[in-house]
Amino acid sequence: MKKPALALALSALATATYAQSTDDKLRILQQEIDELKAQVQKTAPGSVAPAGSATTISGYGEFNYNNYKSDTRPAQADLRRFVFGLHHRFDDRLTFHSEVEFEHAVVSKDDQGEVELEQAWVNYRFSDAVNVKGGLFLIPLGILNETHEPPTYYGVERNEVETRIIPTTWRELGLGMHGLVGGGFRYDVGITTGFDSGKLDDPSVGIRSAHQEGQLANAHDLSAYGALNYRSRGLLVGGGVFAGNTGQNGASNALLKGVDARLTLWDVHAQYKVGRLELQAVYADGKLGDADQLNASILATSAEPFAAPSRMKGAYVQAAYHIYKSDKLDFAPFVRLEGIDIRQQEDPANGLFQDPANHERITTAGFNFWVHPQVVLKADVQRYRTDPTKDRFDLGLGYMF
Amino acid sequence: MRPRLLALVLFCAAAPALGEAYQAPEALVAEVFGSLPSARVLWLSREMQAQASAILNHPPANLRQRYWSDGARSVWILEELGKEELITAGFVISQGRIEHVRVLAYRESRGQEVRDPSFLKQFAGASLDKGDHLDRGIDGISGATLSVHAMERMARLALYFDHRSRD
Repeated sequence: MKKPALALALSALATATYAQSTDDKLRILQQEIDELKAQVQKTAPGSVAPAGSATTISGYGEFNYNNYKSDTRPAQADLRRFVFGLHHRFDDRLTFHSEVEFEHAVVSKDDQGEVELEQAWVNYRFSDAVNVKGGLFLIPLGILNETHEPPTYYGVERNEVETRIIPTTWRELGLGMHGLVGGGFRYDVGITTGFDSGKLDDPSVGIRSAHQEGQLANAHDLSAYGALNYRSRGLLVGGGVFAGNTGQNGASNALLKGVDARLTLWDVHAQYKVGRLELQAVYADGKLGDADQLNASILATSAEPFAAPSRMKGAYVQAAYHIYKSDKLDFAPFVRLEGIDIRQQEDPANGLFQDPANHERITTAGFNFWVHPQVVLKADVQRYRTDPTKDRFDLGLGYMF
Repeated sequence: MRPRLLALVLFCAAAPALGEAYQAPEALVAEVFGSLPSARVLWLSREMQAQASAILNHPPANLRQRYWSDGARSVWILEELGKEELITAGFVISQGRIEHVRVLAYRESRGQEVRDPSFLKQFAGASLDKGDHLDRGIDGISGATLSVHAMERMARLALYFDHRSRD
């Protein structure tokens, strides 16, 4: 009796085990069916961006706090930027990319906030080596202009070289070609709108105040750009150049009719990550021609005339070390040394002089603390040698997805 | 002549491309095993789904994961979102360690450098540490941060699936 009972018990156990396994599989299948049903419902007409659809959403943003050492500048907290991107794949080769940016939280005629399209371009991919694109896109100079999400750079505020010399976030309307060629080299070439010197109103940021950002851009004078970057594990070395006339045949200032005011802006950059150490350096240099004619046009039209910028250059070196790094948490102190030199075309007879504040040395030291690979807390102190009223303590929170 | 020359250059550059797909999954499997064995299926129990979610930071796309194995080695074809698009990668696992990794399809307009052999070589020999983390740091690629993160997540998931397929 014992043997049949044991056999029966074993049989029952095997059946139970099989039944449990089958039950598990049925339950998993049922769960999968339920999720498929939910997905089908989501993809019904009128729904927006279902999971796995051809349309995707991205975003990044940052919240900054600046506490100045000098009483002449008030401490401020700011929702510096809130950006979301919409991207769409028309087919295997044709895609659309866009980013819309809100700055300073509130946008109205009485506030300082802005809404702007940072990018909106269509890309056609012939192969990895050959892509063509058209629309409003970022110019590939420096490191920051194309990769400017807060978790990807050190410091609460963006570095000054890639703000005042390379006017990040710098975009133009145009046509371009880019691709990855043998051994990690990426090229970018294109023809785009350029700057309009008739719009210059702030020499402290070099050519930046003459940018057009795709807003009814005067396009009598087009510009051309080219960049070559080599990327490999932990290493980036590259450079780029952007050149074109900026007079725009006097569209914004009649005195610039027939004036070239040629701009040539170029940079070289490098980034190297080895182990826990990260090193980064950028050198940017630009020349703006016909500065005397620019001065004349500024004198004739500006309520507060200034000497036109004629040469702008800057460089920084930066080092960071990841003291603690786990799957999600990452703590890295850093230090950055920057130099800015924006030369202006003086005209003493008309009271136009070099602003000494446009020759600046900045030291930034602080840390980035990633609480997730895509979310970062930042803190730093900044010292300005020429204009110490800008000395400050900064806090920031940034994210990207 | 110039337009013709440009057209020729574009054609030559485009001709070798397979859209954004570099290799079919079946071709990788056949390359690894010398032939195409029958696919096996790993059924994801609730516990496995939870762990896969912890690795990916989102629920797994499939509750039944197809894979190929000859008993000693296994091949896992996984997909994960980079910045805007899915990356398809194949992971060959042997004795709990990654033997090699290949990017089979990359659909983003930038960041194709994750296909660079010097980048992928970092995964060779990697295994899971405690908490199902990789036992080593992976050096990133400037401008391809999210794609690098996606590759790391897939590597961890492939190792985890391989481990669980042998339970």
